[in-house]
Amino acid sequence: MTPRWTATGLSQDLPKGVVMAGHWQGHDLAVWRSATGRLQAWNDRCPHRGMRLSHGFVRGETLACIYHGWVYGAEGGCKHIPAHPALTPPATITVTAFACVEQDGVIWVAPADMAGSPPAVSGVQPLRSVSLTCDLAAVLAVEPALLGQDILRGTVQIDGQGHDVCLLVQNNPAGLTLHALCGVRANKVAASHWVENLRRRAEMKVAA
Amino acid sequence: MIAQEVLNEWYPVAMAAQIRAGQRRVTQLLGQPITVELQKGAIVVTGQGGALHVTEAYGHVWACPGTPAHDLFPIPEALEPCRRLVDVGVVRVKCSPLRAVENFLDIAHFPFVHTDVLGAEPHTEVNRYEVQIREDSDEVWATKVTFYQPQAAKSAEGGIVTQYMYRVAAPTAAVLYKTCPNRTDAWDVIGIFVQPLTEELCDVWPWMALYDDVTPQAELIAFQQMIFLQDRSILENQIPRLLPLDPGMEIPTQADLTSIAYRRWLKKRGLTYGAQMVAA
Repeated sequence: MTPRWTATGLSQDLPKGVVMAGHWQGHDLAVWRSATGRLQAWNDRCPHRGMRLSHGFVRGETLACIYHGWVYGAEGGCKHIPAHPALTPPATITVTAFACVEQDGVIWVAPADMAGSPPAVSGVQPLRSVSLTCDLAAVLAVEPALLGQDILRGTVQIDGQGHDVCLLVQNNPAGLTLHALCGVRANKVAASHWVENLRRRAEMKVAA
Repeated sequence: MIAQEVLNEWYPVAMAAQIRAGQRRVTQLLGQPITVELQKGAIVVTGQGGALHVTEAYGHVWACPGTPAHDLFPIPEALEPCRRLVDVGVVRVKCSPLRAVENFLDIAHFPFVHTDVLGAEPHTEVNRYEVQIREDSDEVWATKVTFYQPQAAKSAEGGIVTQYMYRVAAPTAAVLYKTCPNRTDAWDVIGIFVQPLTEELCDVWPWMALYDDVTPQAELIAFQQMIFLQDRSILENQIPRLLPLDPGMEIPTQADLTSIAYRRWLKKRGLTYGAQMVAA
């Protein structure tokens, strides 16, 4: 599979000092924002005992593992091992970092050596993310106005009016996640209901 | 195909009191269906190939699907008359049975997983302790373990430096001895008996033999359940689910000497059910 940028969340859902689970093409990631707002995406596994770092906690400019409190700083290097406070951790203890950028209110991830920028999504505002138990084909079947593969876009009916929507596609081990954005004139509450309704219709399509 | 070394060991399969009360337990052992029940006053464990070897000890029923390589390990403290024996009950965990045992042997996680109970920052340092594989009993022992604890037990008032000894008595059973808050001349004894349902699913039965005449039984059980539920949130989120026995996959430190010895002991004895042998 050709490496490409994948949307893994919306900026509004990741405040400073918070870590969340992310994915890039089958790789589980810990995506986190430091106290000063620096965004990073790492392999979701502490090299010590394999614990998911997305369950960890942010302190200042570091992310710590919830199991034994190992502290990781910029670029994924281990800075501190609480069981041995006097020890300087060997430079070999690192977590693999991914490329992670924020653009148009969307958090995008790719392998560290990825060249170029994520695709631009202009004219729309971030709305919400939604996880579905069905595949993309079911979504396209219930909403034929949406066109595209990684980025679905089209004009749909929200509150009886046509509005521009954009759905960024993320395939996860557990299913499908869509990061939704909508036209700047759309009512965000109504648009959010439309997204929820789309999820229900697509999942029912599969069940039927 | 499960190794004979694995089949010839003892595993917990039920709480004895429940079976004695007439309950029938339909469960799994090493991926095979088994039934634990009372027949004519005796506890019987039946698998697809017939009856398994059975013994009853420390509040639990133990079964061996092969030919027992040895008797079930002794816990002499269980026979001391003044101790309170507490069957905590079962916690099902989606992890390798070996990971559940290894977590029980670990102290460095106390300040982060059992915050303000079994540990608290900034008291995170793990002092050097001693680990050996005892040749007479073929058990892993860790001794001279010390750790600062805000509330070491239900009966503890305020923080104390707790002393510990750890003992791996069977591939999926371990026992710890820790400072008893009520008595200076005795240890509290806590066991963890792990039933391997499959390589990635287990039933965990904590068990205690304490000097504590005061705390109500329900509170003792609730305390231990709280501790183990905190552990479960870790155990179900370790990658991979199997316990890696080959070096390279994980990075231990001096604080992990017990875990290192446990992994070596499992590997040397061929007790690889629930283990990952090749670095992924």
